[in-house]
Amino acid sequence: MSKFVKIPLVLLGTVLGFFVVTFTVYFFNLDMKATSLLAPFLEKWYDHLERKQYI
Amino acid sequence: MKTVQKVVNPVRRAGEQSPGKIYDPKLKVRARREWRGVKDTFYDYTRWLYLMSVLGRFIIVPRNVKGFFRYRWMMSYLFVPHGMDKFTVGLRDEALRLAHTSFNFVIADVTQAIANCFRGDRRVGNDKAYSDACVVTDENSMVTFMMGFDTKKVHTILREVPTMFASNIFHQFNVMHYLDIAQQYGISGDVCPMPEAEAGISIDDDFCVLGCCAVQNNTTCDGSLMGNGIIAKRLEREYGIPTFQLATPLRHKEPDVMDYAAQEIKNAIAFVEEHTGVKWDWDVYFRAAKRVNDATRCRIAQLEINSTPYPQFFGAAFSLYNDTNYMGNSGRNADFVKIDHKLLALAEKGYREKRMYAKEYRHRAIVWGVQPQYVIDMLYWLVQCWGVMPLTDMLSVINTDMIAEEDTPENREQAYRDMAMLNMEMIMRNHTHGGYKVLLDDLWELCEKMNADMVMMWEHMSCKALTGMHGMFEEQARERGIHIMWVSHDLCDPRVFTRSAIRDQVSAYMRTVMREEPLDPSLENIPDNEAY
Repeated sequence: MSKFVKIPLVLLGTVLGFFVVTFTVYFFNLDMKATSLLAPFLEKWYDHLERKQYI
Repeated sequence: MKTVQKVVNPVRRAGEQSPGKIYDPKLKVRARREWRGVKDTFYDYTRWLYLMSVLGRFIIVPRNVKGFFRYRWMMSYLFVPHGMDKFTVGLRDEALRLAHTSFNFVIADVTQAIANCFRGDRRVGNDKAYSDACVVTDENSMVTFMMGFDTKKVHTILREVPTMFASNIFHQFNVMHYLDIAQQYGISGDVCPMPEAEAGISIDDDFCVLGCCAVQNNTTCDGSLMGNGIIAKRLEREYGIPTFQLATPLRHKEPDVMDYAAQEIKNAIAFVEEHTGVKWDWDVYFRAAKRVNDATRCRIAQLEINSTPYPQFFGAAFSLYNDTNYMGNSGRNADFVKIDHKLLALAEKGYREKRMYAKEYRHRAIVWGVQPQYVIDMLYWLVQCWGVMPLTDMLSVINTDMIAEEDTPENREQAYRDMAMLNMEMIMRNHTHGGYKVLLDDLWELCEKMNADMVMMWEHMSCKALTGMHGMFEEQARERGIHIMWVSHDLCDPRVFTRSAIRDQVSAYMRTVMREEPLDPSLENIPDNEAY
């Protein structure tokens, strides 16, 4: 296959692949679902930090 | 009672008809995103990509990662896309674009504010030269006194905006920790939870520490004064950051307070000059003044569109964009001008094409009082579920006067009075302080001007400034034949009134008093009390 055909095809495939993956994440809200699983661990992390509390 | 003509939408909404289906009680976020038809879903997807790029560019900076793991409130910013989803439920066409254009810009602005905080923060970036050029101000402070300082030489840091105000919009539970801390240290639970949470953040040592000086404002209530006292004590005594108290008159409609108010602005400017070593620049000021006037003209035009049968830009996106532009920006950033005009062009297009947010509009409402942070998106629900069109909210009803924008000797003296006027009439305090005229009379004038038959009164139960006039509102609404719907909440604390408890008050009023059924029953009971 000539270079002039191959490069556009690879570019098109990359763009399509990017779209399919990111659109799936977007539509099924996978980004926020994954983040909400992370939140309890982060809360524990913040709880264990030492702070200089006073009024 | 006053009635308004019902407006029916002849166009069927593109995509799915009932956004109520995207909620799942088992999840803390939406089950999926909404199908809005090909064109609008693709547009929403591209805005999601943009938000991801904003967050990505922020987190690749090492000091921002360090800040993320140091400050508890940073967790809220993981949920920025979820916050944006709340603002766009059921929206299509221009409405969707208005919400994204305004709020995406606010998000980018807040992200930059966090990056600036971390850069100067003694615990994180510790860029001393940068920190020495920073002036820290309140979340509730107008920054008019910074309008004449070159933004390349002096940086204004509204430290409480990303820490408390904005973070609570993305994550409804995030301030509960700080409220508990404040109450553990003896602050009573009936104080407004916004300043109480800010005080709690200071007690918990969870504010960034930066700046050569700070300016606090006696805004907007006794709770705010209490919070400022606690925060100033730590700023001055522990961190050695001198703090100026900008004491703004509360009776802002009385002309005899103006000389004093203008003098306070002069004093604040002198304080900033002394600590930053940078002089006030009148060229910079008058350029900013032109932008303030331009923003005012755009806001007036938006409200005029909302006075017609086809309102376009309202609700949380309108309110928060105004907050950011009027109060946090005050003409200093030229980028807001482009966004103002883009938003106005979108609203004008929507008006020409008679775009509607719901199947029909049954009532036209003015939303008065202070809105709850954790269900700030509720006005979209109000129009889509019940057909009540919220024409504007109290926090968006701000100054409509033009200020002096030409550099002349007379205008230089007038400029102090203009800054004082903007400061006195800033968001919230222009209606919660100043007496009967600004809280009641202004409301009835607005009902007349915008042809409203209903007032939705947010009753923030910890706000002493508003609850004292409950009986007068009732009596005067009855005299004018205006329906008045009271909706209680507790601003930042969802434990006092959950989201569904807030919405249920509207539904109960609409069924029992108005004898109406919802336009979209799938929205009446949304299972989102446990969602972020």
